[in-house]
Amino acid sequence: MEKHDYPTLGEVLYTQTLTNGLRVLIVPKPDFHETYALFATNYGAIDTSFVPIGETEMVQQPAGIAHFLEHKMFEKADHDAFDLFGETGANANAYTSTTRTAYLFSASRAVDQNLNTLLDFVQDPYFTDKTVNKEKGIIGQEIQMYQDDPGWRLYLGLLGSLYPNHPASVDVTGTIDSIATITPEMLYQARARFYHPSNMTLTVVGPVDPEHVIDLVVANQATKTFPASDSILRGVDWDLDKHSVIAHRELALPVVRPKVMVGIKGQTKIVDDEAGLKQQIATRLLLEALFGDSSPLYQQWYDAGLVDDSFDYGFEAQRTFNFATLGGDADDPTALIDALQQVIAQGVDQPELTPERFERLKHAALGKYAMSLNSMSSIANGISSQSFGAVNLFDYQRLLQNVSFEDVQTAARQLFDPEAVASLIIYPTDGEEA
Amino acid sequence: MRIELTKGVGLTVIPTTQFKTTRIAVHFLAPLAKADVAARTLLTSVLETASRKYPTQSELSAYLEALFGASFGIGVGKEGRMHRVTASMNLLSDQLAQSDLLAQGMAFLKQVLFNPLMVNDRFDEAIFSREQHNLKQYLESLQEDRQTQAALGLQALYFQRDPSQATPSFGTPEGLAKVTAKHLVAVYHQMLTQDRIEIVVLGNVDEAQVQQFAADFDFAPRALAEAALDVEVPVHEVLTDQVNAPVIQAKLNLGYHVDTDYFGPKAYATIVANELFGGSALSKLFTNVREKASLAYYASSSFDQARHLVTVQTGIDAEKQAVVLKLIGEQLNQIQQGDFTDAQLQTMKDGLIANRETAYDAPRFLARVGLLESLWPSQPHTLADYIAGVQAVTREQVMQAAEKFDLQAIYCLQKEVG
Repeated sequence: MEKHDYPTLGEVLYTQTLTNGLRVLIVPKPDFHETYALFATNYGAIDTSFVPIGETEMVQQPAGIAHFLEHKMFEKADHDAFDLFGETGANANAYTSTTRTAYLFSASRAVDQNLNTLLDFVQDPYFTDKTVNKEKGIIGQEIQMYQDDPGWRLYLGLLGSLYPNHPASVDVTGTIDSIATITPEMLYQARARFYHPSNMTLTVVGPVDPEHVIDLVVANQATKTFPASDSILRGVDWDLDKHSVIAHRELALPVVRPKVMVGIKGQTKIVDDEAGLKQQIATRLLLEALFGDSSPLYQQWYDAGLVDDSFDYGFEAQRTFNFATLGGDADDPTALIDALQQVIAQGVDQPELTPERFERLKHAALGKYAMSLNSMSSIANGISSQSFGAVNLFDYQRLLQNVSFEDVQTAARQLFDPEAVASLIIYPTDGEEA
Repeated sequence: MRIELTKGVGLTVIPTTQFKTTRIAVHFLAPLAKADVAARTLLTSVLETASRKYPTQSELSAYLEALFGASFGIGVGKEGRMHRVTASMNLLSDQLAQSDLLAQGMAFLKQVLFNPLMVNDRFDEAIFSREQHNLKQYLESLQEDRQTQAALGLQALYFQRDPSQATPSFGTPEGLAKVTAKHLVAVYHQMLTQDRIEIVVLGNVDEAQVQQFAADFDFAPRALAEAALDVEVPVHEVLTDQVNAPVIQAKLNLGYHVDTDYFGPKAYATIVANELFGGSALSKLFTNVREKASLAYYASSSFDQARHLVTVQTGIDAEKQAVVLKLIGEQLNQIQQGDFTDAQLQTMKDGLIANRETAYDAPRFLARVGLLESLWPSQPHTLADYIAGVQAVTREQVMQAAEKFDLQAIYCLQKEVG
């Protein structure tokens, strides 16, 4: 077991990789009641094509299968794993993103039992025609619910414009049509490939003894056999190509106010290492300098009624793609798009980007980061989401301290390309009663 | 423990080394009046945006950045029959920041609350009209979130005869339209001089020092408004409301009147009965309506102690409404008949206790407990009290509590049919 000390944060991280390849990450938090554990696989909605374990040919699976698999893992021949957690008073859940699937529980008692349950249910698949077909109804409802969420439609629509030829733009849940074709065999095939321990991590944060947790996990894994691990061949490749971007689209939905989102497609590879995380930090500081609450530009837009409190921005860097988003509700969405385009066209020459503002924003970011380490769930999710890369959540402080004004300028040069921009407006349809 | 700074102004300090943050909350409590809620909400936007010392949003935000990225906001809520305005800050702890952030945070709050951007006792005209416009837009767009729309619709229906409870804590577009600049100033002065004030500070702090900072607010003494928290609506006939909207998934929400006492034996029995009904992921609603019958994407219930109300919320296919309604009634009936095992009952209790223990890891929750202790000083609020209260509930008490669930309101949001 390796011990990593972060004295300025008051945190300690223990890590160990087991012989079957499973990586375990533990953060002891003796002052707290809650233990939060995540069992995660480096597999998400974009991974629909891959070479199955023991085979040589690439297969193509339906959109939404990673999420479908997540739902189906809980159901067993004679019980639901969900109930096993619940019976101890613990809460269990799971989620699927574009690149990752995670199963989790939160418990204040019976932590050992719940850890075993977590490892066991995810490593013991049970899929039949009957259970798979029933799930199509439940997920169908989930898909419908998202259809009623205009914010989600805006976001997904924009991804469609940025990534017309890449699965990043496909809804994590898939579509009613795509999930209709899912069979138990497909689920077994995907699970065998991506749920191998060498493609998974276990994160445990709470009032636990690290030695004890490792012993428990080792004993649990010793009862199971896995094929030898080999490297995973995935069909999905980087999409950094600005030429495929669809510049502008409009939709009509039953909303009260027009909504607009502008996206900038990233054209540089950002991977999960020190340089990659540093670039992400620099890019986020850049966006905050220009569009954050303390920005004179934002103030000007707010005073002019171009934006309001719904305006938001973000930068997402995932395996094989990265992009920035900006937008919100707007009375005049076209004017907001024009204003954003103008800023992007200025590239690195931004009046808001001064060394003084950069230093203050960095100071604030260091405080916000430390404050975010206040709950078991935020620490555990932060550790888990970085667990397939070379840096971890607690390295963030050091990397943030090392980010320079020049790094932010470089980020501006790399991100701000008017030709990599897509915009999407949702206009209200008629017929919505107030 | 509450310290009285002056008449009607209380301070609760919760020293703890568990967190990396210090939390400050200044609560203003006034009897809930339908005519004032929109004005009080607009006031929070105006105060949040600008003050004499920080006349623009960017200057105010820049100051917060200099305080190691402190967060600051003013929000509203209901505490039974009281309306609450809360100005709160989260700061990095003085120990981690190696600086006196708590003192600076308290001084900042004082500026924002006592020295807003005013000329001749009027708020800045441009800020007033812009914030009124923005808030109107926000209130109107709430219906874009259909679950929120359904929850507010049910509340309006259930409290049809109690307009102050029927109105959301943040007001309505209609109420907001009536707010004038003059009204806003009157509401502001009333809040500062007449509202009951409760200050809660939680973190690695020194109690005497916090008391000194809080005294610096220099709030004038005021009559201590009795905390009229309990909201009891007499049982009446079942009210229904069918609202049409262009939705794909229909929302069916129900309201039940329950017989409860604030954190007394009846309340604990209702807490457990609600957990079994729809509060837990192992509840009857979740397992039988959502999972077994595949009739809903979500189905849950929640218990509002101060308002003697249990609500059920579901997302369903519109044409299944009658079936779902019947099935929900059957689940309640099963609890009334004692159709649950002792193991299930214990599971519900274990879940409630685990959730409570976990909640005690959150500064926000602990600070809220501090407020409730000052509002309900006669009620025990410790974790141990809660655990004992839940553990003491018997099967018979759960059945009796469920027996007192009276269906009062059925609200459905759905696509217009034929």
